[in-house]
Amino acid sequence: MSIDETGPALRIDRIAKSYGPTVALDSVSIDMRPGEVHALLGENGAGKSTLVKILSGVVKPDSGSMSILGASYTPHGIVDARTQGVATAFQELSLLPNLSIAENLLLPKMPKGMLGLHSHRTARASADRILKEYGLAHFDPTTPVGVLSLSDRQRLEIVRAFTHAAKLLILDEPTAALADVEWLFGLVRRQKSLRTAILYISHRLGEVRTLCSRATILRNGRSIGTVELSGASDANIFEMMVGRSARETTNALPAAGDAAPIALAVKGLSGGILSNVSFNVRQGEIVGIAALEGQGQRDLFRTLIGLTKVKGGSVEIDGVRAEIGSPGAALRTGNGLAFLPEDRKSEGILAGLTTASNMVLPIISRIARGGVVWPAGERRAARETAAVVDLQERYLHFKIDELSGGNQQKALLARVIMTGARTLLLFDPTRGVDVGTKQSIYEAIRKFAADGGSVLFYSSELPELVHLAHRCLVLYGGRIFAEYEAGAIDEQTIVGALIGHARGADVVVAA
Amino acid sequence: MSAIAANPAPRRSRPWRAVVSGTGIVALIYVLLYALYAFWQPDALSVYTFTDLVNNSTPLALAAAGETLVVISRGFDLSVAGVVSLTNVLMAVYPLDGPGGALISLLMCCAIGALVGLINGILVAKLGLQTIAATLGTMIVCQGLALVILDAPGGMVADFVTYTLTDTLFGVVPIAGLFLVAAIVLWLAFRRTNTGIGLYAIGADEQSARFSGVAVSRVRIAAFVGAGILYGVAGFMLSAQTATGNPTAGTPFLMLTFAAVALGGTPLSGGRGSLVGSILGAGTLMLLQKVLFSGGVSSFYTGIFQGFVLVLAIVFGNAVARLLRKDEVR
Repeated sequence: MSIDETGPALRIDRIAKSYGPTVALDSVSIDMRPGEVHALLGENGAGKSTLVKILSGVVKPDSGSMSILGASYTPHGIVDARTQGVATAFQELSLLPNLSIAENLLLPKMPKGMLGLHSHRTARASADRILKEYGLAHFDPTTPVGVLSLSDRQRLEIVRAFTHAAKLLILDEPTAALADVEWLFGLVRRQKSLRTAILYISHRLGEVRTLCSRATILRNGRSIGTVELSGASDANIFEMMVGRSARETTNALPAAGDAAPIALAVKGLSGGILSNVSFNVRQGEIVGIAALEGQGQRDLFRTLIGLTKVKGGSVEIDGVRAEIGSPGAALRTGNGLAFLPEDRKSEGILAGLTTASNMVLPIISRIARGGVVWPAGERRAARETAAVVDLQERYLHFKIDELSGGNQQKALLARVIMTGARTLLLFDPTRGVDVGTKQSIYEAIRKFAADGGSVLFYSSELPELVHLAHRCLVLYGGRIFAEYEAGAIDEQTIVGALIGHARGADVVVAA
Repeated sequence: MSAIAANPAPRRSRPWRAVVSGTGIVALIYVLLYALYAFWQPDALSVYTFTDLVNNSTPLALAAAGETLVVISRGFDLSVAGVVSLTNVLMAVYPLDGPGGALISLLMCCAIGALVGLINGILVAKLGLQTIAATLGTMIVCQGLALVILDAPGGMVADFVTYTLTDTLFGVVPIAGLFLVAAIVLWLAFRRTNTGIGLYAIGADEQSARFSGVAVSRVRIAAFVGAGILYGVAGFMLSAQTATGNPTAGTPFLMLTFAAVALGGTPLSGGRGSLVGSILGAGTLMLLQKVLFSGGVSSFYTGIFQGFVLVLAIVFGNAVARLLRKDEVR
């Protein structure tokens, strides 16, 4: 091969991408050598997935340039990227459950038989050959992908990327669902010897150190730097991921005493990918959940509220054993449990209704007179709660979808508080809202807790956990990995725990 | 979590799959109904009665076949009612006699269907309209055009079309049936093209299909165009059947095509199903009318029975699918 010394395998030069006012990538530059396994590290929202999409040809960058082996690289679609030797194993697997393994591997162009039609026999043979080459000879190419386990699907996604990646292979969280990691490592080493550059994205630092020689760290859409992994300690890397300035441990609130009665007791809870999770939330306490994407936080909240089936364990709300089959049932158990869902648009707001109607929804039977909800009564009830979340009264009669995201979120928080539940589950309560609104939401949450309510919240933003939580639980792989009391919550410690390094954890709960 | 990894992918023999698939179920229902029909109406097994039944069923069967393409790609196509009305009216107002005339009429019907399908496809794939919204619009436009061309039932379809297409070949094979066979053969071939596989792919998960390299817009447009052509042929065959024009001829097709698709085992959620099942589903709905009539049930009750059979078939199909899945993903 004569690809040597023509230039770096991949050069990314000051790539930027914005979605409307949201800047996903500010300026990212990376150089990769042929045959190099290069890690890409960063917190949630640092811009990793946007970069992956740009490299795969799914998204076009706003500015900046890319080149492969010295030649300019501007893919206009995923197929084009593949023909230029770039392929990606996506984190959110891109297989089609209703098609066979062979069809998934060979899409979008199936081998032709007689009459120009797709030949099952040839497709089967090609798929068999591919599967054998990548150590999956026991797969039957005619099996529909839908019946495979998640782990097997992940392997198939990886194999498909390998078959197209001559020059650059992108592996986005390839081990998230993988049972047999050594299988992947073997493939990566083999591909490396073929001088393919491999961009390896993983939250698991142990893996990264095993496979990669260098790592580039992203923070807030910028590439902070590229380090030789042999010369960088974990602490260095965490610091680069979080940023030095982010060290803040201001929690104005005194932690609730151990004497306060327990509002929410979770014992050995399993469901979804969650396994054997136990913790308590006391009255007046705000407990934060920290976790990287897909570590079971979604399952935790959905199980508690009855949207995901409980596989084992028990939940007690105010000492009452809860059999939660629906959000309605959760609200009626003990002093009640109410949930603020993560996706405002699809799970939260009722777009056609006014803000006031949206807010009073849980209590319409209480404010109705003679079976009818009179507008005046509705406004009165809404006004009281609007004050709690600092939502201006004039918004109450607007249709809720005319409000800004921040105000919508305030209205939804008001709705959750209005249910009268004394325990709130808030899933990423400040996602996509501005700084001012964040402060109002924090105030409302603190006030709720100060009045004796209990709050369990998940946040994708570490500063928020540091600010708000009396106690912070770190979820990793569906288990509680570490637990920190208020004084010990600082961002770098949590970042370590997030990727499975329990540095300086005060209490490590054996999971 | 780790135990599953080494589990070899299960093998299941293909014939068994076919029997329990939606197509198998609707075929079974059809045979049972036909047995009942023969029991009540001894001449049900005669060529004349069978031809009559095929003639009656063909327009709906072709329309349902077209609808299936769109449903598999995860969409709904309401324009079927418009295209059938429009082509029927044109056949009655501008009759062209002789085999040549019939061929030109057929091509015209196909062209109109293809054009409407193309517009639907562009509205959905390029402009991002919801399928129901886009096709509702084209349906209303087509129905309006049909009314402009012929404002009340009337007109005459060319004799050649009326007589030949309702006749039999060699005294045994209904000619209308040949159109169905042609549709099925084309479908079986189409299934094995890149676009055909892409159709199932975008119906299951558009995002994944795109990430797998499927040209999503092109496949979606192809589905609408293919569907439109089949609606055009359905309108052509309906005209042969009724011999006259009616600007609202297509309206009953709207609900019945969806019923035939669902009865044929194609879930309205997309990604699965077969055109063959829909053709059998349409046949079953029409056969049911005959059976009820020969059983002495007033025709006012037909709708009730059709709806009942439809729901029953889907419930049964879902139950079988659940059993199968349990069996496979142990």
